[in-house]
Amino acid sequence: MTHAPAEVAIEYEIADAQVSKPLASPRLRGGLLLAPAVVVAILFSIIPLGYLLQVSLTQDSSFFFTVEYTGENYREVFTRYRSAIAETVYLAAASSILDLIFGYPFAYILIRKVRYRELVRTMMTFPLFGPLYLAFGLFYILLPNGPLGPIFTMLGIDIAKYLFSQAAVLFSMAVFTFPFMVMNIGAALSNVDPMLEEAAKTLGAKPWQTFTRILFPLSWSGIIAGLLLCFGWNLGVFAQPQLLGSPKEQSVLSIQMFTKGLVQFNYGLAAALGVVLMVMAFAVTWISLRFSRGALGA
Amino acid sequence: MASLAAPAGTLRPRFPNISLKRLGDALAHGYVWVWLVIFALPFLATLAYSLRTADGVWTLSAYQYVLGSFKENLLLSLQTTVLTIIINLIIAIPAAYAIVRHPLPGKSFILSALNLSLYTPAAVMGVSLVIAYAFLFRIPQTMIGLIAAYVVGTFPLMLVPVIVALRDLPLVFEEAARTLGATRMQTFWRVEIPLLGPGISAGILLTFVIIFNEFLVTLFIAGPSTTTAALRVYNLTRTAGFQPSTAALATTMQLISFVVVLLFFRLFGSRYLKGTYLI
Repeated sequence: MTHAPAEVAIEYEIADAQVSKPLASPRLRGGLLLAPAVVVAILFSIIPLGYLLQVSLTQDSSFFFTVEYTGENYREVFTRYRSAIAETVYLAAASSILDLIFGYPFAYILIRKVRYRELVRTMMTFPLFGPLYLAFGLFYILLPNGPLGPIFTMLGIDIAKYLFSQAAVLFSMAVFTFPFMVMNIGAALSNVDPMLEEAAKTLGAKPWQTFTRILFPLSWSGIIAGLLLCFGWNLGVFAQPQLLGSPKEQSVLSIQMFTKGLVQFNYGLAAALGVVLMVMAFAVTWISLRFSRGALGA
Repeated sequence: MASLAAPAGTLRPRFPNISLKRLGDALAHGYVWVWLVIFALPFLATLAYSLRTADGVWTLSAYQYVLGSFKENLLLSLQTTVLTIIINLIIAIPAAYAIVRHPLPGKSFILSALNLSLYTPAAVMGVSLVIAYAFLFRIPQTMIGLIAAYVVGTFPLMLVPVIVALRDLPLVFEEAARTLGATRMQTFWRVEIPLLGPGISAGILLTFVIIFNEFLVTLFIAGPSTTTAALRVYNLTRTAGFQPSTAALATTMQLISFVVVLLFFRLFGSRYLKGTYLI
């Protein structure tokens, strides 16, 4: 209480200092401070994406000379590349669900039982160094004479048949986004009071009932946020199918865009594929921000 | 009654048998450890591959390429990463300041527009930039184009931790410094920057880990003279197959990243990374 008058005094002094300065409209200063970031975002994010949209509506390099707009690229995307879109969505959805199934118990154990969390966090940074190294390492493990060959032989698993398969791609995608899922579910679970679970048990609930009636409803927002984040990341998957997948997995949109744009120089089609992928990714992000309100909440 | 004596948080009244509870705990910890092994396994496999010749002899000879023909790529990676971090700092700190401390119209809209590139899939960003660079801006394939792409892709990662840190920073410190006669610049450099340190370094770490290992946007926009080390790893796996020398480069990249992460955790702990991409 005794502090209050002093604080008021400081406020006045600051206010006076601001008034006494000319050209010091806080709004203008804020705009100036924000300007470099806005300029960079407009130049290298918004204009290129707008240009991508424009190029996607043209064919045969006409965007470069006299622009003729056509929806032909999109017609092609939604006919010939429908299976590629389906494959992209399927891989992203399946790997996100794998993340949920394996990540939920992991997050629960991490929050409730584990004291060596610092170690877990440190180890979890390995997948985040990038899907490329992950896929590279897995490739070697899956080789017939790989380093874990004796162990797999002992277990009676023919590991080599998983090289260039959907299983290998899904596994590497799931491992890459596993930390995101654990992070989201862990954040939701750490807000659930352990007393609630104990109360449920004391009142005679079976473990399964405790999960469906207590834990699941209370961590629902974390599950949705985690699923959407993993799904959004995996929509743009590139390295894992390229290194570990069969041609079917290699039909995902990111790889198609690279092939059409930078190998065959069909910029219009590559741009249209990019716009479709972008719209899907933005939609997922928008929904997830609705759900989670983000770290910023601005 | 016996269950009441058990430690809170782990008690299971339905299973008074203590050994069963122990078994459950052991399984739970075992599950976590299985995942810890899975996280490290690709790295360990790459490391093992880099240390062996085709005849099964263990040798460090593959690492001669890291300091030989891959040296340029590594240096370029370090160079672009450091430059990107510097530009990110110059851009993101004033922006975070403006967003937290200044009244601006449409703040949330501006923030979404700034974060737009964060939600754009890397391949979409790559293809949009390669088309824009070639036909709209007419920039040749130099390091400048690369760094511009990295900056736009990662400055939101710098922005977010600094905004979070600034929101947690009470105005009283700033006000006290101003009342005691410090100029605005002195307040900024001597009071606010040290207090924001952990938030800023979290942004630096995120930018480092992502840019140092970024290969996908680079794959689209890099020219022959701007092949970063991560892109070199990718290119080599496509053209030369799986060679111990490629594994040596991949191992080196991951080791450098891991050492940086460990140093950061030792210095600042991991709590400043909450709500960002790294846990």
